[in-house]
Order: sequence, then structure tokens, then C-alpha cells
Amino acid sequence: MINVQDIRDTARDMLTKGEVRAVIGYRRGSRGMLAEPAFITDPAQAGDLVWDPTCFHNLSLYLVEDRKFLTHVRKTANAPIAIVAKGCDARSIVVLLQEHYFKREDVYIIGVSCEGAGVVDERKLAPHLNGFQATNAAFDGDDFVFTTAEGEKCLPAREVMADRCLECRIPFPKEHNIVFGEDKTGRQLAEPFAALTRFETQGTAERWDFWSHHFDRCIRCFACRSVCPMCYCDECVVDSITFPVTTETTAEDKANRIRWIERSAVRSENITYLMTRAMHLAGRCTDCGECERACPVNVPIRLLNNKMEREAREQFGFEPGASIGGPSLVASFLDNDPGQFIR
Amino acid sequence: MSEQQDYEPRIVAFLCKWCSSAGSDLAGVSRIQYPANATPITVPCTGAISPMYILSAFNKGADGVLVSGCHIGDCHYIEGNYLARRKMHLIMQLIEFIGVEPNRFRMSWVSAAEGAKFAQVITDFVDDLQPLGPQDKLKKAERV
Repeated sequence: MINVQDIRDTARDMLTKGEVRAVIGYRRGSRGMLAEPAFITDPAQAGDLVWDPTCFHNLSLYLVEDRKFLTHVRKTANAPIAIVAKGCDARSIVVLLQEHYFKREDVYIIGVSCEGAGVVDERKLAPHLNGFQATNAAFDGDDFVFTTAEGEKCLPAREVMADRCLECRIPFPKEHNIVFGEDKTGRQLAEPFAALTRFETQGTAERWDFWSHHFDRCIRCFACRSVCPMCYCDECVVDSITFPVTTETTAEDKANRIRWIERSAVRSENITYLMTRAMHLAGRCTDCGECERACPVNVPIRLLNNKMEREAREQFGFEPGASIGGPSLVASFLDNDPGQFIR
Repeated sequence: MSEQQDYEPRIVAFLCKWCSSAGSDLAGVSRIQYPANATPITVPCTGAISPMYILSAFNKGADGVLVSGCHIGDCHYIEGNYLARRKMHLIMQLIEFIGVEPNRFRMSWVSAAEGAKFAQVITDFVDDLQPLGPQDKLKKAERV
């Protein structure tokens, strides 16, 4: 069990001593029970930090944003930035370090173990609350305790936990500077890739029916891209408005730029977008599940990323975010990679 | 004549400059008869093929996409085809996963000396694509 006071004390200490220039963590949000990302620079505010089942954001996104901001203002950081990271978040940071997005000494990882639990899925929680809004959520061993107008309600964590947490294999941040909570790696709340395995029992035609339905619904708001710490490219290949325009860019240059896909939200373009995204995340996605949570029309994006993750794991023995010095999936190979499909 | 007989699948073939492209040339100068359904696109190496090329080809209306390169160990750039093998495996799995017929994508190793094999690969591919009919799942809708 993690004592949230420990996280606050660590943050306050480091900010007071000037060891870090900011702490990225979670604080109580303004909407019901939900936590929101907090950027704390003043030691007096360290008491705002919380750790509860609604801390689902992958905060490593803000390390990327910070890096982009520093580049933009042409400044170098004078001290590292501290970040509260769950198991999946810490793996995302490792992937970013693998790709040399920033240096290890630029970030101070305050690891938090999810232990026997994980984060809540609001959609799963809703039916349990009799229509009331929860105003607070807390861990209690393997249970979650929600406070509503009706009083406190204790629910077994595995009934309301997000799928990604149930299927999580390593709910512990291996890469950390300091860590709170026990390492419960090896807990099996659900079979890894359970949802994917269920989906794959269907035939080609059923799979197409399922996906064409979802591809039609995608509105291409790019929320999945915005929320993803791995989607850090300034110039996104599937989005022509992100192509840089400088004073030297002529009208002809603009007209002749390759537009791989159109920006219109029609099925064929949505497919190409989502598949390209899945390919770009292959071997990099650490299954933090933020894309699926952020999706306003509930496209099951996680399935695509999971498919790539499992393929990498089973065929190439590749584990994303395993070690900072490790190879990347598509820039490495093994002599015995599968090749039976090649004629 | 029924519509099915009119249908000729359109194949986009990404051929490695150092082997399959020369292989297709050899098939030509050897006067080997094979279907003319493939549009060849020469690339410097199969390792240079982004999965985006394949998605884009389907998006622009290809019925089938072929990627052909050097046999393992023969890559001009030492390891390009090893990298391609990985990437193509992933994109093939992804295409299959969303419910596109697996036969629409194919990869082969054809060396510069294998003109006959190239002709065979194209013939087989066309035979496999013929019963599938036009590819309209990933194809961009016509503008109205």
C-alpha cells in the first residue's frame, strides 16, 4: 500500500533543495473523483499531489511537451524534471530514452507500483453507482473505495479496473530513481492479451464487419495522437497541415508535397491513419491505453496496438520498454525471424 | 461475357533494384509469358519500403501488393532484407487482422537470375487474386 504522503514529501524535499525544477504528478481535478495532471514548481503545493485509482494519465507525454517547449524557446534545462510514473508510464519513458528523445539525467522518475490493482475504467464503474457521481476514489488493498452521495462503496478492483490493467504483466516501474509500493510483477488478474485473443477467434468477414464499423465512426480528431507520448513527431505523415511552412516554402512546394492520405474523415482514410499509427507504435507502444480512453467515439484502438505488441513478443521475442540500451523493433532483426510467408 | 471475366486484378509490385527488378527484366528478355497485371515500382532495397507504401497502394486502389527482394544473405546493403522481413511480417499481420483477405499482400525473394520464378510469382498472385474480386475495403471512394 502506497502512502501518498511519501510522494508529497519526496516532491517537497526535491523542490526545496532545487534538485528538480518541477514535479509532474496527479492532483484532485475539478470533475468528480477524477485526478488531473499537476505541474508543481512551488514546494508549498506539493501537498496537492494524490495517488488514487483515477490516476490514469500517462504523464510521460508532458516530458515530451517540456522537451518541445525547451527546444522552441532555445533553452537548456538547469535541473531535471521529476515525474510520477506507473509501470506502463515508466516503460514509455524508457522507450523515449531508447530513442534519445531526452537524457536519463534530465528526468527523475518517482515510480509508483500499481501492486495488486490498477486504474479504474469509468465505463465499467458507471453501472455500479446507481446513477450517482463518485466524488472520491481510493485504493484499499485489492478493492477500490468510491465515495458518492449515497456514502462509501467498496468494489473489488478487478470488476471496475481498466482492461489494460487487468492484462498488465509488469505493474511495476522497473526504471526509477525512487519507487513506492511493492513489486507485484507476475500477478495474473487476466490472461495477457485476453481481449485480443477473444477477438481473433472470429473469421475474416466478422473482423472486417467489426473494424469497418469502427473505421466509419472515427472522426479523425487526432485525440489518440495528442495523448500519446510516442506520437512526438512535429511533422505527422498522415496529417498534411503539420507539414512545416517556412519563408522559403514556395506555393509550388506546398502543392507538390506528398499527401499520403487525405484529412477527410472517411473510412478509407481513417483506416490508413489508424493502421499507420499502429505500425509507427509497433515495438514502442507500452499499452498505457490512453488512446482508447481519449477516443470520443470509443474506437478500440488498443486492439490494434495490442496486436502489434503480441506479434512482436511472440514472433520476435521483443518486449517494448524493457531496457534503455535495447534495440528498437523495426531497426533490428534476428536470423530466425519468421519468413515462411515469403515465397 | 460476365463481369467476373472482365475483371483483371491490378498489382502494385515493389521490386528491389538489385534483384527482383533485374529478375523481371530477365523474364522479359527471355520472352517468358506471364500476366501483365503488375505495375512494377523499383525501390533501392526492400528495407527501404515503408509500410505506408503498401497501405497507400491499397488506398489508391491496388487489388494486390507484391514486395519482392533479394534472398536472405544476398542483400546489397547487407541487412536490408532482414529488416524488410520484419516490417512486412507486421504489416501483413495488421492487414489480415482488420479483415482484409491475406492473399492480397505477398512477399517473395526473387534474385536477378530467377526470371522464371518472377513470372511464376506473378502468375500465382494473379490466380489467387482473380477469385477475390476488386479490392474495395481500403480503397479511397471516388469523388463525386
